[in-house]
Amino acid sequence: MFDLLGAGLANILQLKYLLPLAAGTLAGILGGALPGVTITMTIIVVLPFTFGLDPLQGLAAMTGVYVGGSAGGLVTAVLLGLPGTPSAIATTFDGHPMAKKGEPGRAIWIGIWASFVGGLLGGVFLIAATGPLARIALQFGPWEFFSLFILALSMVAGLVESSLVKGLIAGALGCVVTILGTDPVMGQERLGLGIPFLAGGIDFLPVLIGVFAFAQIMTELERGPGARHAASLGRVASLAVNKAKVLWEVVSRPVLVLWTSFIGVLIGVLPAIGGSAASMMAYDQAKKLSRHPERFGNGAPEGLIASESSNNANVGGSLVTIMAFGIPGDAVTAVMLGALTIHGIQSGPLFISQNATLAYGMFAAYLVAHPIMVALMWVGSRWMLRVTTVPKAVLFPVVLVLCAVGAYALNNTMANVYVLLTFGVLGYAMVKFGFPLSPFILGVILGDQIEINLIRAIMTDGNPWLFLTRPISGVLLAASVGSVLLALWQHRRQQRRLAANADGDGDY
Amino acid sequence: MKLGRDGWAGLAVLIASLVLFGLTLGLKGNPMVPIGPGFYPRIVLGVTAVLAAWLVLSSVLARGRVAPLPAIGYGMVVAMFALFGLYAGALPFLGFRLATFAYVAAVNALLDPPRGARGWARAALVGFLTAVATYVVFERYLLVLLPRGSWTGF
Repeated sequence: MFDLLGAGLANILQLKYLLPLAAGTLAGILGGALPGVTITMTIIVVLPFTFGLDPLQGLAAMTGVYVGGSAGGLVTAVLLGLPGTPSAIATTFDGHPMAKKGEPGRAIWIGIWASFVGGLLGGVFLIAATGPLARIALQFGPWEFFSLFILALSMVAGLVESSLVKGLIAGALGCVVTILGTDPVMGQERLGLGIPFLAGGIDFLPVLIGVFAFAQIMTELERGPGARHAASLGRVASLAVNKAKVLWEVVSRPVLVLWTSFIGVLIGVLPAIGGSAASMMAYDQAKKLSRHPERFGNGAPEGLIASESSNNANVGGSLVTIMAFGIPGDAVTAVMLGALTIHGIQSGPLFISQNATLAYGMFAAYLVAHPIMVALMWVGSRWMLRVTTVPKAVLFPVVLVLCAVGAYALNNTMANVYVLLTFGVLGYAMVKFGFPLSPFILGVILGDQIEINLIRAIMTDGNPWLFLTRPISGVLLAASVGSVLLALWQHRRQQRRLAANADGDGDY
Repeated sequence: MKLGRDGWAGLAVLIASLVLFGLTLGLKGNPMVPIGPGFYPRIVLGVTAVLAAWLVLSSVLARGRVAPLPAIGYGMVVAMFALFGLYAGALPFLGFRLATFAYVAAVNALLDPPRGARGWARAALVGFLTAVATYVVFERYLLVLLPRGSWTGF
């Protein structure tokens, strides 16, 4: 393993890989710093630029975006109180108060160093866990894969806060997309609905790009096209600070850093929960473990460390599931999965053994992206705020053009651009009607695999009870039922609390 | 019986899934895979229909208590979708460069309405720079072919 990692590091340190990695990290930091532009949108924009690159160059650029984006959100969160990305929401709780107290440099650098340390801890987990988990997955037959994918879908649908049934419908609708066009087992045409571009089935990348890019841009537009966020630019004090001293502030709290990074990794491994949940949970844990919880929300460094170390460690966890099981942990890794597919590489348990150079190159890219992120922040954090002055009137059409290019360039056909628009409309409608997008996308990505493994299992042995009687498959299916029941129970409990609160309010 | 927002959404999904379910009944089997290409779609559509019916029922039981869509300005959103639709429609006829120039300039003008000649020049410049920069980067450096226009040959 260490030989391969050493070779991966030597590989990635070549200029031809280092350049896209640095460019991706910079793009991630800038995208992360822009309020309203998520890491998902940044990686969607970067995706078409990777088509002309070799697989490792493309994946290095995307890994850079992921790492940079997870850290970039902290700049606006600290200086403006506006989280650049959802995963930086908890960073605003203590980062912004600390900046307002006249310590913006300290706040920024606590965040940067916590991101760095948390990210590297996530990297250790990524490197150590991917191989063993992939080896376990290699023991899986079609029954186990079917059950694993069902578990992933049910977990994601169950984690939706608003409505369990809407989460489940969104996941099912994602699977419906995969049944249109062709049957993945025999390639037989089915349910083409007489629409020419449906005949060959629907690629998941234009669906993903359309759903996320349009839903986000249109939702932003509802808030007004001209909003800018740099109002307090002139008020930003000096960011000068003793960086070594701030690093010591972070590493002198090893229990906090380790525990919150562990939370980040754990949330990252679970599909589609994301960095925002990780940072909120970690923040909550840090507050509960603190001897001075009353300081939280007033510029406590522990809150800042918890949020940033967990959201960067989360990246490592998300990459594990895609590399070991072929299940994207979130929308960003879903785009990376698409990029792998474009280059003809199948992710999943065989990925690390069949593409060891690429896999360890990706690990190395992940590790190297962190010092690059620190260096870029060191040089550019002062200017990072200027990015937020880019008007939406320039940003949005450029992003949508890049989305169109990304969809078209997948196989040089306009059909993908029409798919992009169709699913853009659908994605926006889903958001407006309160349907979550994550289960939908996971359904689109896993739908074919669920069908293939179901058919394989039945063709191998017609006994349907095998799904329950094979131990791993049975446990996975039981866990899916458990996750749905747990979600139902949590939803009921929340409703009861809301009702109780409403009654309480009525008494006054 | 009053349906809320969720109820209407559930009803739309229910109808769509039942229509598609009906279409799966006409799918021909395959001797290599006796289970047939309609087996899995029927499961998926069946589950979708049941879940959609559940959503409709919940909405009926809640007597449409779910809040309606907030009244915000959807005009800009509709215009943005319409412009992208025009762009997607124009790409095969005008080609990437012309269509992108027109699209970006139009969206820029929509989101930041020009005041006077300077404003229009700004919109045109943003469109021009985007079209040229994306063309040069993708076609020249990344070797990604972009659409040519059947009317313009450009």
